[in-house]
Amino acid sequence: MSFDWKSYTPVIIPDIPNLHEIDVYTKNGGYDSLKKVLSNDWDPEKVINEVKAANIRGRGGAGFNAGLKWSFMPKPDGGPRYLACNGDESEPGTFKDRKIFEYNPHLFIEGALIAAYAMQCSAIYVYIRGEYYSWIKMMEKALKDAYDKGFIGKNILGSGFDVEFHVTGGAGAYICGEETSMLESLEGKRGYPRVKPPFPAQKGLWGRPTTINNIETLSCVPLVIKNGADWFSGIGAETHPGPVLYGISGHVNRPGVYELPTGMPIETLINEVAGGMRNGKKLKGLIPGGSSTPILTAEMVKGTNMDADSLREAGSMMGTAGMIVMDEDTDMVEMLWRISHFYHHESCGQCTPCREGTGWLEKILLKIRNGDGEIRDLELLIDLCSQMEGRTICALADAAAWPVRYTIDRFRDEFEARCKKSTYALA
Amino acid sequence: MPEIFIDGKRYEFEGKPKLLQFILDNGKEVPFFCYHPEMSAPANCRQCYVKVGTPVQNRETGEYELDENGERVIRWFPKMQTSCSMEMTDGMVVHTQETSEEVARAQKDTMELILINHPLDCPICDQAGECPLQIQTYKYGPEGSRFEVKKVHKPKRVELGPRVTLDAERCINCTRCVRFTEEISGTHQLTISSRGDKNYPITAPGMEFDDPYSLNTVDICPVGALTSTDFRFKARVWEMNQTPSIDITGGKGTNVDLWTRDNLVLRLTPRYNENVNTHWMPDEARMAYRKFNENRISRPSIKADGDNQIKTSWNNAIETFAEKLEAVKPADVLVLGSAHASVEENYSLMKLFSTWGVSDFHFSPDVKEGFGDDFLLTDDQAPNTNGVKALGFSETSAEDLKAAIKSAKVVVLLNDELVDRGVLDSEDLKKPFVISLATNETETSKSTDLVIPITCIAEHAASYVNVEGRIQRSLPAKETKYTHRKLDLEMSEGRLDRYGTNFDNWVNEDNKVDCTPTWELMNNLGKRLGLSVQFGTSREIMDEIASSNSSFEGVSYEKMDDENGIQLTGMNKEEVSA
Repeated sequence: MSFDWKSYTPVIIPDIPNLHEIDVYTKNGGYDSLKKVLSNDWDPEKVINEVKAANIRGRGGAGFNAGLKWSFMPKPDGGPRYLACNGDESEPGTFKDRKIFEYNPHLFIEGALIAAYAMQCSAIYVYIRGEYYSWIKMMEKALKDAYDKGFIGKNILGSGFDVEFHVTGGAGAYICGEETSMLESLEGKRGYPRVKPPFPAQKGLWGRPTTINNIETLSCVPLVIKNGADWFSGIGAETHPGPVLYGISGHVNRPGVYELPTGMPIETLINEVAGGMRNGKKLKGLIPGGSSTPILTAEMVKGTNMDADSLREAGSMMGTAGMIVMDEDTDMVEMLWRISHFYHHESCGQCTPCREGTGWLEKILLKIRNGDGEIRDLELLIDLCSQMEGRTICALADAAAWPVRYTIDRFRDEFEARCKKSTYALA
Repeated sequence: MPEIFIDGKRYEFEGKPKLLQFILDNGKEVPFFCYHPEMSAPANCRQCYVKVGTPVQNRETGEYELDENGERVIRWFPKMQTSCSMEMTDGMVVHTQETSEEVARAQKDTMELILINHPLDCPICDQAGECPLQIQTYKYGPEGSRFEVKKVHKPKRVELGPRVTLDAERCINCTRCVRFTEEISGTHQLTISSRGDKNYPITAPGMEFDDPYSLNTVDICPVGALTSTDFRFKARVWEMNQTPSIDITGGKGTNVDLWTRDNLVLRLTPRYNENVNTHWMPDEARMAYRKFNENRISRPSIKADGDNQIKTSWNNAIETFAEKLEAVKPADVLVLGSAHASVEENYSLMKLFSTWGVSDFHFSPDVKEGFGDDFLLTDDQAPNTNGVKALGFSETSAEDLKAAIKSAKVVVLLNDELVDRGVLDSEDLKKPFVISLATNETETSKSTDLVIPITCIAEHAASYVNVEGRIQRSLPAKETKYTHRKLDLEMSEGRLDRYGTNFDNWVNEDNKVDCTPTWELMNNLGKRLGLSVQFGTSREIMDEIASSNSSFEGVSYEKMDDENGIQLTGMNKEEVSA
């Protein structure tokens, strides 16, 4: 798709200095969408329909239509209802929400407020990972400013809508980015994911209806209200529209967060937007959406765009659009071991396949990495992946198994060369 | 009624049971670890997999869609489901490991993953023989191990509390112990620490696991991670005989099992009774096993030369007993029953003495105010208070008791540690001639003039009525010098009796106590006194009581065994003193 990316004007992280100050934000049209939604022309149902029509697909990794998710909330019964905003951002290769916290927090706050209005929630909780200590402080300041200006609290702008807004910090667990695990952590308990069903929309925080959305997803909401669903769904790829924050890292000249429409060709992103491969090296592999997504070889990258359908056809997933670029000197065995080490370290330990499986995967990969591996270990690894996928309470086991399965599958020669020659069959 | 198809067979169900409990109730087997019928189901062991599908229903008409063979079209769930958390719906189709290759393989995979970090401790692990992990590995697990890297190491032999030892490596993190302290005993003393495969159960820093029900976690732990510090390494499960009985340390009447080897009771475990204690038992009840083995009185003894008690023969004991009685009038004799003794013992005592001429009978209650909780501990420390009252013994306070003893010439005391409990001093017992029928050597027995050993609950079949008016019975687990397991119809045949060789059945005669049941003693005494009372076995005595005492109407050993105890009418929970 030919698209003049240089002429794109960012809307999620616009190039306006000091946009994190509430006065600068309101001067540039900030909180107008909130005022619009709270006026007499709009009601919660209309908001949900507008967001559904815009097709904001969740930017946290699953890519589920946000408006549709909002419509799963049951009818209000007089009790509290919650919106939980997932700012855990622990997926390796992902660092985009940090930009929003730092440069445009009020866009997110406004989006959360509109969402809370649409789902008639009584409180909003934003869960930011504990490692983002400075950004938690920034969010607290932004919230205080919004409270002072009357955008949060009781009877917001005279509309009769009350909502509270709280910030909580995590404590260093990747698993708490999983939605039910995040709810457990918010409640002050160990971050063990819950068995679903019941789903959070039925029984979430403290047993009440709760919706969980990613920070970036909610940040798109005021833009949709301001410019219309058609405007949003017209940007980027057809089935996965809208602006998105690409987090490009790895062996490129200019790694960073770039806001562009969805559906950008990967080659454009690497060679033009990020300034090309470092030291002029050739591309070897690319992880498109955070370490849980299957790796693509340089061949598979050709002609693939960064949107859900194109990536799925190519054999991977959109995820969080956190692209990790690897050049020809990258040792795939080392890379895979390091990713497995991450999942082993982060497994919560609640259910058997993930707790034991991630540890076993890492230990076998360590054996291969150190040169003691045998060919049958590769078959054992693939077998273990089948034992873990789809058998667990949450998707961490899948996220741990996919890199192993697909990296070995797509870079088989390199792994076999690393293993000792062995004629033993698998035990 | 809603229907469900499990492995091709049709079942009907009502209500909202969970699938695993329904499958188990219908006699089929699905392996599991973390599930327990009394606690919440966390579905974290992933062993109870089944394949589930629901029939496709036409949205408008509600009719089931049929395929070309006329069978219902089934939409299978894409992933296999854990049956412990699966709610049953009408028309559901379920395949267990018996009819599905996929399910059998999934269960095998889970077993393999549980075993990779599990230490090879079977030879030294207490749980061997009653270990669900062993049994399910054998039935559903992999044949060998593919694990060729290092296992995770965690603390072993951790003193979690005064009674429980933790071996963290063996733990499979089913969280049954954690959920027990959260949901059942309410003390919240255990939690899981650390993350991933380094996790294990632990108490908060500096805290002990001194929950009064802590040993129940040893029962429910499916592996040998939590073990009883007291029982550790004492005996193998298959060496012991298991006999059902009743707890005698409190009024609740908790159903227990006595485990004996070489005629010594080695441990007590809870027995399931849905009306009394369900699956649980307080820790203090478990320590009662010591009383059955230690400090037993073997052979009667008489006081001579001041305070010395000299062993004597049974003939001499009964002769002395009768002589002392014949020397006084019935009004001078004080007969004390006991709430710590069974219904049959108290009855035989009462019948003999009332035939002889005694008109009123007393007992001293054993109640500690504030001791009980809402669970299995009661203020009443005796197991048979209601039974004794229903027979006609009157509750007597300590002061009245002391006065009665002062004015009596002969005191007959049935199995009650009055001096040890603090009701009497040994001085109070000096004046009259005191005959005690006792099981253990205590301060009380040492203060009496004639001590006749009787059987304890581990050695006889007898009934006890708990604080809620429920009558339950014990079975003999220990042999006395006069009973033999193979000849006594009340005793169950031991495993080694049936399958063992002569070398397995070592017999240590020292462990057999020279004692007799109270009713047999009363028989001999009656004959000597020339009375026409005759008692048969305890079973026959209960039939006699049932036909003569309205409180015990309809009670018999058969009925008590069938129904796991009988709730006596006229003894409501409100009327009970506890």
